[in-house]
Amino acid sequence: AETWDMPMAYPATNYHTENGVTFAECVTEGTGGALEIVVHPNGSLFSGSDIKRAVQTGQAPIGERLLSAHANENPMFGFDSIPFLATSFDDSDKLAAAAHDAIVAALDEQNLVYVYSVPWPPQGFYFKKEVNAVADMSGVKFRAYNAATARIAELAGMTPVQIEAAELSQALATGVAESFISSGSTGVDSKVWESLTHFYDVQAWLPRNTIFVNKDSFNGLDEGAQAAIMDCGAKAAASGEARAKELTDQYLKTLAENGMTVAAPSDELKEGLKGFGATMTEEWIAAAGDAGKAVVDAYQAQ
Amino acid sequence: MAQEFWPLAIFLFTLFLLLGSGVWIGLALLGVAFVGMELFTTRPVGDTMMTVIWRSSSSWSLTALPLFIWMGEILYRTRLSEDMFRGLSPWMARLPGGLLHTNVVGCTVFAAVSGSSAATLTTVGKMSIPELMKRNYPEPMVIGTLAGAATLGLMIPPSLTLIVYGVTINESISKLFMAGIFPGLVLASMFMSYIAIYSRLSSRFEPTAEPVTTFAEKLKNSRFLIPVLLLITLVIGSMYLGFATATEAATFGVLGAMALAAAQGSLNWESLKESLMGATRTSAMIALILAGAAFLSLSMGFTGLPRALATWIGSLGLTRLELLMALLIFYIVLGCFLDGISSVVLTMAVVEPMIRQAGIDIIWFGIFIVVVVEMAQITPPIGFNLFVLQGMTGHEMNFIAKAAIPMFLIMVVMVFVLITFPGLATWLPENIIQRPGG
Amino acid sequence: MDQTTRAGVLRRVLDRIYSASAALAAACLVAMLGVIVMQMIARWSAFTFPGATDYAGYLMAAASFLAFASALNSGAHIRVGLFLTALGERRYWGELWCLVVGTAATVYLSWYAVRLVYWSWKLNDVSQGQDATPLWIVQMPVACGAILLAVAFADNLIALILTGRDNIRDDVAVQSHAE
Ligand code: NA
Ligand code: NA
Repeated sequence: AETWDMPMAYPATNYHTENGVTFAECVTEGTGGALEIVVHPNGSLFSGSDIKRAVQTGQAPIGERLLSAHANENPMFGFDSIPFLATSFDDSDKLAAAAHDAIVAALDEQNLVYVYSVPWPPQGFYFKKEVNAVADMSGVKFRAYNAATARIAELAGMTPVQIEAAELSQALATGVAESFISSGSTGVDSKVWESLTHFYDVQAWLPRNTIFVNKDSFNGLDEGAQAAIMDCGAKAAASGEARAKELTDQYLKTLAENGMTVAAPSDELKEGLKGFGATMTEEWIAAAGDAGKAVVDAYQAQ
Repeated sequence: MAQEFWPLAIFLFTLFLLLGSGVWIGLALLGVAFVGMELFTTRPVGDTMMTVIWRSSSSWSLTALPLFIWMGEILYRTRLSEDMFRGLSPWMARLPGGLLHTNVVGCTVFAAVSGSSAATLTTVGKMSIPELMKRNYPEPMVIGTLAGAATLGLMIPPSLTLIVYGVTINESISKLFMAGIFPGLVLASMFMSYIAIYSRLSSRFEPTAEPVTTFAEKLKNSRFLIPVLLLITLVIGSMYLGFATATEAATFGVLGAMALAAAQGSLNWESLKESLMGATRTSAMIALILAGAAFLSLSMGFTGLPRALATWIGSLGLTRLELLMALLIFYIVLGCFLDGISSVVLTMAVVEPMIRQAGIDIIWFGIFIVVVVEMAQITPPIGFNLFVLQGMTGHEMNFIAKAAIPMFLIMVVMVFVLITFPGLATWLPENIIQRPGG
Repeated sequence: MDQTTRAGVLRRVLDRIYSASAALAAACLVAMLGVIVMQMIARWSAFTFPGATDYAGYLMAAASFLAFASALNSGAHIRVGLFLTALGERRYWGELWCLVVGTAATVYLSWYAVRLVYWSWKLNDVSQGQDATPLWIVQMPVACGAILLAVAFADNLIALILTGRDNIRDDVAVQSHAE
């Protein structure tokens, strides 16, 4: 029997990790114990940033990563993080389907075999005041942590402040930042109601965690085991997404229960954000080239 | 079960062989990790090693370390210790125990700008040892209280041990720093109580009486304390109020220390260069240990040993207190032979899962480990405060270690105080982030 | 030129390389301080300094690795010396063992540090932060520092074998600064 170590970046209680454990059990069962996958959660083996490279170079045979973090390397990896392009679970699935072949090819070039991906809850805006239009955002101190969030700040006329994830709570409490964009889970985890008042469920984008296998390790398996991995992957993709939807509702409820105003964006705000989306989609296509254009076209044709 | 612990036996054997024979600690850890990986995985060892070494060496949270070391190096080259003695002694003279308290209070104050115990010891001791001996204070008390109180350098923020702990377990360094403040003050007051009681009970306590000073004179002398108090406010205050992260507070510290040195006229090109080179060497030394530890932790992760051990400890059904007592004894023994930073990084890969599984607060545990590491500073045969005092006083190690025994016992009591009142450590970190927005 | 002066020249050249590398490491620390100060100023004045934390991290790694060799010779690297002291007159053999292990470990480290750079270049690995720096560039000082550390160990090993003593000062005072 063979044992595969599977590094994952998030805590053992995170639904991505729980889902990964179910996937691992499914594979062990599907191969009759010939291939055992051992999950190492919480970056305990490799930190999140190192997982892709570790699997690429065979340091680990399989792993999970937020692929959009590697958009510097290949803009295609950032397809799921174009703001205000695909703004619901259904749209996110359509976009992922449109990008599937391109992602499989991009990973293949890096010695990786794509298995499955699961979305995070959608990204929404946290504010300290009521915001009904893009104009209301002007001048607000907004947490920018990467190029895309810095660009959102710029388009909205907000003041970008650079804050690491670990320092977010402190920055909000002391007023260094007054606004940020993230999923409902971040807000719950950092008890954001202690500092901010409004959450707008704009569903700006749904980043995805992707599971991939080292190509040499994959080719070293017999066909039965390969099929088991892919079948279990398909199952895990479905169950992971179902869980994400369920949790999204719970998180928003928790925010509301703690006194935050949780609302859908007003039509005017929605229109304004859609404008940002068009601009940033153009910019992404400019970076990702023809392959990127094909993905966006295929998505919009659906 | 026996099969699961084979890796442990091999790790321990290699570790004892390499460390015990005198191989440099960072490299010994690399060696142990290498042996573990070669035996228990089929993964490419060298490349895997470099992945984690690069990640841990280029970590953002580590940047606080060289900066706080540099700050201490600059302050060591200033007139700070003279000024502190002059400012503090008029206030201490009337207390039971007299100027012995300048050792404890001086260390407490200096600990708030220095991240290291030995630096605290040298800075405070270079002034207080000769002055106290001149006044006929019993020598074992002078040396003992200094050896003990200097360890506050590790608990009262900034603290190199807490930075290393925070980096190793990936927790907020600012929070750990905040957690150290109250326990540090409690420990300092326990040292002072001991001095007071000793001075009342001992027949050998007959120091020269201090001249009587008026309140106005005392206040006037206190002006010497202003620079160091400003520096403390700048470093700890900026973190507490959320203006700065630990690393940024460290840059305030370096720049503030430079300003202080410049104001005293002790800042020149030569001393600046010396302080910088000293900081570079010391932080490189710690970086090598951290690199080795990062690889060792990965290697153990591949064997599944930490989780197996955590599960095993869990299955023993130990109470929280029993587990902590076992760890206390374990770390005291380890601390006899290893320096604090090495014993923290060496054990965390195995101890962290245990602690989390037992539901012990990881920030609180940081303070627990600091007290234990503080004890290691004054236990023979390897205790850096003992070495430093040996160099400063010329006494035998035995004499110094014996003088420090009461301080060691007070720290053991401190562990139980922490266990009984966990809020001492956890209250402040839980409350810094809840400050109203400003 | 006779044997001793040639050895003397080599000694001086090597020592100069170690100090130059340490000076470079110190410069990295100063630059790191500069980056952090600039990041703070940027934040207070509502600008951003994209990738500041990443740059500070690279400088941290460079500062550490470039100073390894000089830290070795100045006795800054910690070790447990009980056994060596206990050896008394046979200490030579203990030191020899340590230097052989140290040389082997650091040659191994430097070989893979070079491979780290090579693979980053080969895989076109780019920083995931806003700086988007190609990693092979910032990993170069790490490889150089690791190689120099291996050289320093080999240097000491050869010196020990030829002259009976190495060039490492055993400096507890320096080591204690970290504690
Ligand atoms: Na301190
Ligand atoms: Na000790």
